[in-house]
Amino acid sequence: MKLNPDERWDLIDSIASHVVTYGEYRHTLKDAIGELTVKPMTGIPIAIAVMYCFWSVFGSFAGTLCTDGFFVKLFDGYWLPWLQEVFPGKGGWLYSILIDAGGMTNGEFILSDNCFEAFGVLTSGLFVAIGVVLPAIVIFYLMLTLLEDIGYMPRLAVLIDTVLHKIGLHGYAIVPTILSLGCNVPAVTATRILETRKQRFIMMTLLAIFIPCGAQLGIMEEVIPGLVGYVLLYLVIGYFIFGFVLNKIVPGKSPEILIDVPQYQKPMMANVRRKLWMRVSSFFKVAVPFVLLGCVVVNVLYLVGFIQWLGDLLAPVFVGWFGVPKETAGPLVAAFLRKDLAVAQLSVIEMTQYQMLSAVVLVSIYFPCVATFAMMLKEGWKELIGSVAVLAVVVFLYGGIIHLIGKLLGVA
Amino acid sequence: MKILLMGHPNVGKSVFFNRLTGANVIESNYSGTTVDYTRGYMSLDGKEVEVVDVPGTFSLDPKDRAEEVAVAMLKEAKDAYVICVIDSSKLERGLYLALQIMEEGYSVIIALNMDDVAEDKNIKIDSQKLEQILGVPVVSTIAIENIGISKVISRLKDAKPVDVEDITVMRAGMNHRGKCGCT
Repeated sequence: MKLNPDERWDLIDSIASHVVTYGEYRHTLKDAIGELTVKPMTGIPIAIAVMYCFWSVFGSFAGTLCTDGFFVKLFDGYWLPWLQEVFPGKGGWLYSILIDAGGMTNGEFILSDNCFEAFGVLTSGLFVAIGVVLPAIVIFYLMLTLLEDIGYMPRLAVLIDTVLHKIGLHGYAIVPTILSLGCNVPAVTATRILETRKQRFIMMTLLAIFIPCGAQLGIMEEVIPGLVGYVLLYLVIGYFIFGFVLNKIVPGKSPEILIDVPQYQKPMMANVRRKLWMRVSSFFKVAVPFVLLGCVVVNVLYLVGFIQWLGDLLAPVFVGWFGVPKETAGPLVAAFLRKDLAVAQLSVIEMTQYQMLSAVVLVSIYFPCVATFAMMLKEGWKELIGSVAVLAVVVFLYGGIIHLIGKLLGVA
Repeated sequence: MKILLMGHPNVGKSVFFNRLTGANVIESNYSGTTVDYTRGYMSLDGKEVEVVDVPGTFSLDPKDRAEEVAVAMLKEAKDAYVICVIDSSKLERGLYLALQIMEEGYSVIIALNMDDVAEDKNIKIDSQKLEQILGVPVVSTIAIENIGISKVISRLKDAKPVDVEDITVMRAGMNHRGKCGCT
């Protein structure tokens, strides 16, 4: 037999009255902290403090301590010179792909002196994957896991709800957004917590375009520390501008939600450890092959002259419209495979600060990496085509606007 | 044999799943951590049993994509046992889903999870009485501390389909020999 909702609730009421006894309500310390972090007056400053803390720990642990303090010394001081020495066939194509493409100065083959410039699979590839991205991802996920297990995320969702409604989403969209700062791939799946197709489409498109992943954040901190803030500013502004536009033009509904705010909990160390391990290892299963493959593909394309050809072909667009040097064609090809790799490549191209800023923003908003692309396809090909169409428009428009802003400021 | 773990978002289904199967799925303290189902295996009386961690759902009338996945999972596995995980501090709304699942004719066992949270809030549930009323096994658990999980497993054999028509609070008066003391 089946009941209708009213009968069901009646039955539940009578059951509950027999089995549940409510004691006196106690206002505990947990409740008090819970209220402080969710009421706007106190909650917003706390949220800003938490985010600031998150960012500074991320930068100082991953960038300063691990990468600069250890991996740069290891890779540039020992690994690179050793490989350059022992690997046979200096100047040959295999040497260029695996170890060091080097540079020709006055007809003489000059080896690179650091792992950003060498661009071999075994040098730059490994350095980017292990020396830069690994520490960034580990510390990012450690902090995210702690925030999750404590139960802070739904509170953040409550605080940001009003703002996200302006772009057709609601507070809970903060979950895929923050996950996306680690890696876009699981974030695409996480968009399923949103109710309507419209919301999922907006979220997926915005995160694929405007949210840099942990790997990219890590490498940006490393190679363009002075510009990261500006890059993020451009991305955040873009996220809201285009979110606002999408909300207006995409048909469908954006319902209100009720958010369930759980009690704060002490994180269980065993759970944190396990979750961290799962996330880091699954990230690396996806990331490392693509970083290494990316190095191979880009090196081969350089060797056969494709990148130069593409650069010349696209020069009018790159130089005239976006205001970046035509050499950025190479990194843009790499960006499809891995954005971290692309940023690393950009960092060794000679250009002005503003051009670098524009180029890094372009790499971020241009095509999602191939793993994200595959994940979006899994969620539905119609959405994917829609997202790509939006993306093309956004890259062209926003890239042009950024160039224009530079011109108006007199820096481009 | 197949076991589905079902319940509202953020009641600890994934914690249950990991404890039962020794597998690793992401657990967090917020709704919507699990948006896709995960399968795992545990052994029960020497036999291998499939366990499915189903995304959280408030009712069997889906409101989002993750809930659609949940409802489809249930419909697909007609002869499955369902461990209905309920947040003890929010019994009523948990029962709503449990009743819906029972109405569909599934063998249900109820895990009153997060017993510690209910205790914090000074809420007490008489699980034995609830078991007598519903006619399905009811076990109090604190999954993250691994309390009560093995009891849930040992009670699985008692789970059987129940007709909701037979559920009345009158049964609470029954004694252990099954004779009704009430009129």
